[in-house]
Amino acid sequence: MKKNLIMDKNYLSYWLRQIRKTMSLIAPMRLKNADIVFKQVDNIHEIELDCPASLPSPKEFLLPQKEYMFRFSKNSVDVLKDCTKRLIFGVRSCDISAIDLMDRFFGEKFVDEYYMSRRENTVFISIVCNNPDPTCFCIGLGTGPFLKSNFDIQLTDLGDRYLVETGSKQGADLIRGYSHLFSRPKKSDYDDQYEVILSSQSKFEKRISLENTRQKILNEKINDLFWDWIARRCFECGGCVYACPVCTCFNVVDRMEQEGDGYRFRIWDACMFKGFTRMAGNVWPAEKKGSRIKQRYFHKLLYYPDHFGRFGCVGCGRCTITCPGHVDMATIAHRIDVGDRRRR
Amino acid sequence: MKEIYLPIKAEVVEVLDMTPDTKLFKVKPERPVHYQPGQFFMLSLWGKGEVPISITSACGFHEYVELCIRRVGYITSAIHEVKPPCDIGLRGPFGNTFLAENAKNKDIIFVAGGLGIAPLRPLITRVMNEKKRSRRIALLYGSRNPGEILFKDDIEAWQEKGLQLFLGVRKGLQFILSAGKKDNCLLSGSGPAAESSRIPKISFKNAYAFVCGPPVMISPTMITLSTMGMDENNIYTSLEAHMKCGVGKCGHCYVDGVHLCTDGPIFSYAEIRKRRLQIV
Ligand SMILES: Cc1cc2nc3c(=O)[nH]c(=O)nc-3n(C[C@H](O)[C@H](O)[C@H](O)COP(=O)(O)OP(=O)(O)OC[C@H]3O[C@@H](n4cnc5c(N)ncnc54)[C@H](O)[C@@H]3O)c2cc1C
Ligand code: SF4
Ligand code: SF4
Ligand code: FES
Repeated sequence: MKKNLIMDKNYLSYWLRQIRKTMSLIAPMRLKNADIVFKQVDNIHEIELDCPASLPSPKEFLLPQKEYMFRFSKNSVDVLKDCTKRLIFGVRSCDISAIDLMDRFFGEKFVDEYYMSRRENTVFISIVCNNPDPTCFCIGLGTGPFLKSNFDIQLTDLGDRYLVETGSKQGADLIRGYSHLFSRPKKSDYDDQYEVILSSQSKFEKRISLENTRQKILNEKINDLFWDWIARRCFECGGCVYACPVCTCFNVVDRMEQEGDGYRFRIWDACMFKGFTRMAGNVWPAEKKGSRIKQRYFHKLLYYPDHFGRFGCVGCGRCTITCPGHVDMATIAHRIDVGDRRRR
Repeated sequence: MKEIYLPIKAEVVEVLDMTPDTKLFKVKPERPVHYQPGQFFMLSLWGKGEVPISITSACGFHEYVELCIRRVGYITSAIHEVKPPCDIGLRGPFGNTFLAENAKNKDIIFVAGGLGIAPLRPLITRVMNEKKRSRRIALLYGSRNPGEILFKDDIEAWQEKGLQLFLGVRKGLQFILSAGKKDNCLLSGSGPAAESSRIPKISFKNAYAFVCGPPVMISPTMITLSTMGMDENNIYTSLEAHMKCGVGKCGHCYVDGVHLCTDGPIFSYAEIRKRRLQIV
């Protein structure tokens, strides 16, 4: 399955144009003078690859912010499932790692058929980050800037050409029939790849060890005062959760259109909200903001490693950009690891 | 692929008023369901939403199931409006079960507060049906006022089979504790005659306990029972949390590394302490 090829950059748009005939093409695009978002591509030349990471993560296409599950009427119920074939192009390594985690979460025990239906119809072309953002810290987690496995197709920008690595059957299917666009890699190509990766690795500004952070928490070096202190700077906006490619919590809501007819849909929810665990009779298990923040970070730093053997954070840095109170994963992990005067 | 979010149809065939705010619903699912004591269904009303509700009818493989529901909010109020014949939706059964197998031939104390009797009912029924003469089984049952004692007929039937009944949980616990202080052996008849009739005659060292009720009742009960020498691994309770999916995906019930809906809702006191689970 694993196969490496070289493609001249000039062929890229032709290749994408051909693939787009069979599936919907999604890629990072710049909104008018504003943020980068993943959206359906109308003009292939508008795809933005040399840009900071998109703020909304591509999880939107697997777990949409709002997903219709059922349409019901007085005497029938329709299961609504998205089976659109999609190619998501230009995804970063960290996001692919996050999707790998989501695959495992939604695919274990009770398999989530809505996620799976989208996932089985989606294929990714990821790109090695030659220029990580100042907020990125995937390098300390092994989730970037390049991937060794678990990708469909991974491109490495070597200047005038791409090194194209296929890592899955879905990836191989995208190459099939286009052999005229590709050539065999030479030793010099691998040398260039090595250079590119080394140079990228050297550009990371943030070096954060979540493992040290985890150990500090496990050794009970952090008490609840720390979380309460963090909480004082949190606005409970939920931005960190919505922006995070790993967070998956959702709420389920019924909405009536008219008498007896309506939809049941799920929408993103956030453990940072006070009402998230509210129960009837005015019971608020996580009333304190500090306890909710602690729960979120314990989930990512302790429970994810216990359950999946990996952190529930891929170092994408989105929460750093989003958080208006500057209490994001990188900051909190750094405080815990390197120290803080409130630490015992 | 199995549809985990799609409820099956169930017909409400009978609704009984039990107290002013509690009703018993007898429903007939589209196809018979198999369940174990302690499990719950996600009850679904299209247009309103879903809520977790424990199964209260005798466990096994059944055509009908009974659900005992208290009106406390948006969806439970809507359920109370339902008049048979009418269809509702059910998903499940979900959750783990009370492991009654381990308690075979052991003394058992059941502690129920208010609606907590509902999830315990299938278990008590099973235990009482399998009971041999020598086994001692007690039920401490409290409710807000005497008019709210649920399932009186069942309780009488259990008593006929030898269940020791003690009404009032707080009082019951106090008696257990005060008697325990007087003499460490709480076995039959050893306390002063006047009190011994109010103390469950069971051997706490080897007994199992199943506790269900409001959170304010659960922790003191568990603490009392373990003070009486009961093994923390043998004290079980059912925890409650806000639930939206019942299948470990929505994250609402996730606390301290466990999904209460799939890893629970039933935990032993030992586990609760080890994981520092919060009893809200
Ligand atoms: C495992 C389990 C078994 C239960 N068994 C029973 C039973 O047999 N009989 C009974 O009357 N009640 C039972 N409950 C409690 C019942 O689920 C809540 O009373 C019910 O969800 C309240 O919904 P509502 O819409 O009326 O309340 P609202 O306050 O309007 O709640 C809105 C939403 O919040 C969530 N929610 C609120 N309170 C709770 C709660 N206590 N537990 C879970 N989710 C909640 C629900 O998703 C609900 O849709 C059980 C709860 C759990 C977790
Ligand atoms: S916690 Fe922050 S840095 Fe980590 S994956 Fe989520 S958004 Fe990215
Ligand atoms: S983004 Fe920052 S302010 Fe908003 S909920 Fe997350 S931690 Fe709180
Ligand atoms: S109820 Fe959704 S995860 Fe437990």
